[in-house]
Amino acid sequence: METTLITLDRIGKTYGDKTALHDVNFTIYPGEFVALVGMSGGGKSTILRLIAELEQPTAGTITRAQADLVVRVMFQNDRLLPWMTTLDNLSFDSHDKAQQDKAKKTLASVGLKDFADQYPNQLSGGQKQRVALARALMADPQLLLLDEPLGALDALTRRNMQQFIGQVCDQGHLTTLLITHDVDEAARMADRIIVIKNGTNVYEAAGAKGQNAETVAKVAEEVLQVILRPDDDPTQVEAVAARD
Amino acid sequence: MENVTGMTKTKKTHRPLSWQRVLPWVIPVLIILAWQVAVSAGWLNSNLLPSPLAVLQDGVKLAASGELMKNVSISLFRALTGFAIGGSIGFILGMANGLSKVSRALFDSTIQMLRNIPHLSLIPLVIILLGIGEGAKISLVAVGVMFPVYINTYHGITRVDPELIEMGKAYGLSKRQLLAKVIFPGALPTILVGIRYALGVMWTTLIVAETISSSSGIGYMATNAQEFMNMDTVLLCILMYALLGKASDLIAKALEDICLGWQQTGRSEG
Repeated sequence: METTLITLDRIGKTYGDKTALHDVNFTIYPGEFVALVGMSGGGKSTILRLIAELEQPTAGTITRAQADLVVRVMFQNDRLLPWMTTLDNLSFDSHDKAQQDKAKKTLASVGLKDFADQYPNQLSGGQKQRVALARALMADPQLLLLDEPLGALDALTRRNMQQFIGQVCDQGHLTTLLITHDVDEAARMADRIIVIKNGTNVYEAAGAKGQNAETVAKVAEEVLQVILRPDDDPTQVEAVAARD
Repeated sequence: MENVTGMTKTKKTHRPLSWQRVLPWVIPVLIILAWQVAVSAGWLNSNLLPSPLAVLQDGVKLAASGELMKNVSISLFRALTGFAIGGSIGFILGMANGLSKVSRALFDSTIQMLRNIPHLSLIPLVIILLGIGEGAKISLVAVGVMFPVYINTYHGITRVDPELIEMGKAYGLSKRQLLAKVIFPGALPTILVGIRYALGVMWTTLIVAETISSSSGIGYMATNAQEFMNMDTVLLCILMYALLGKASDLIAKALEDICLGWQQTGRSEG
């Protein structure tokens, strides 16, 4: 039986009398790049917040491979501390030499070696997101959560960042969960795509990471059709994922 | 891949042009020149409004006798002591109420009630309770300074971007680290606005307190000079308050520049 990194079992989340999530079930395996896609308000970000332990589920269980699983989130907006330089944002202004050295090395790995002393308001949108990615990588996370990190970027920078994040995750063999409403982005970047609709997972498909544009477009269209389907009969929930 | 090598580096801060440095002084200098000309030409009664030159001469005379320094020193002592006490209480209460719901529930309502009492209206009460000694004047300054520091510290803490706090928690910062690295720096711009405003309140309160009940200080000098119709000294005292107020503002501004230098950094074109 394959090792799992994190498993969501019948997860539910309610806010007062409003149900945000119900009966969410999926597993993430080490080293894979999973994308959660769906329309805004469908519950994608709530799932991410539960995995990141920023909130607790009201039903079900989240099982982690180990209790102290290192999880880091890269948010939609960069959330850099504007009063700290780029380098200090990575080390949280630590005076520890090892932390500072690691911050320099990590910053260099995202191509911003020469921007260590710059403040966030001196960087472009793409550069800020690179710094945010570097900050997330500082802790050597076992699971990297990407919460629509490219949503605010222009189309060209967005495409560049998709490639860049893909390379970084591949090189570091990082297990990654991407939250996005962009089906093309999900198809292009992910090994596996999970569709979240009306607060639950309704569909899984293999992604088209590293494949040609035609395959990416085909997968994206397939996922889009599921998202746009008017009703989701539970009996139609399909599992097309490669894993069993 | 995004090209990062060609990005604009930090723009060098240009020294302000010389006319930008001179311009703020043009109106004060013109007023003083017009004033001097008007008195010298006899258009103004020099007994009621002495010339700037006469005020300067009076200042030199009082400085030479040591009286000016003595009174300025005691006023500075009262102002700074009152500021330190009131500012510290306001800061501590603002931090406590900003960070703790229990503290907020316990203190904030009472503080808001007290804040709406004009602190100068407390002068008769303070004189009865504390007399006209140093304690009375320092207490008045402390009360006047406390509220602007409190209100700005409290609002600064409570209005720190919650997304940054959430990021800090998600990245495993301890409570102490969260306070030192995220909450306090986030609140600092608002806190410094409160300090700058409180410095103005500090001088206003001291002027009133020294004018009403004192036997030393710049306010006492002015009141005393008024009784002898010594208009040179009255104007000199007003000038001293203006200079001390300006000096306080410059110090506050310098503090802002040091602590909030990141706000002044230029933007890249990327």
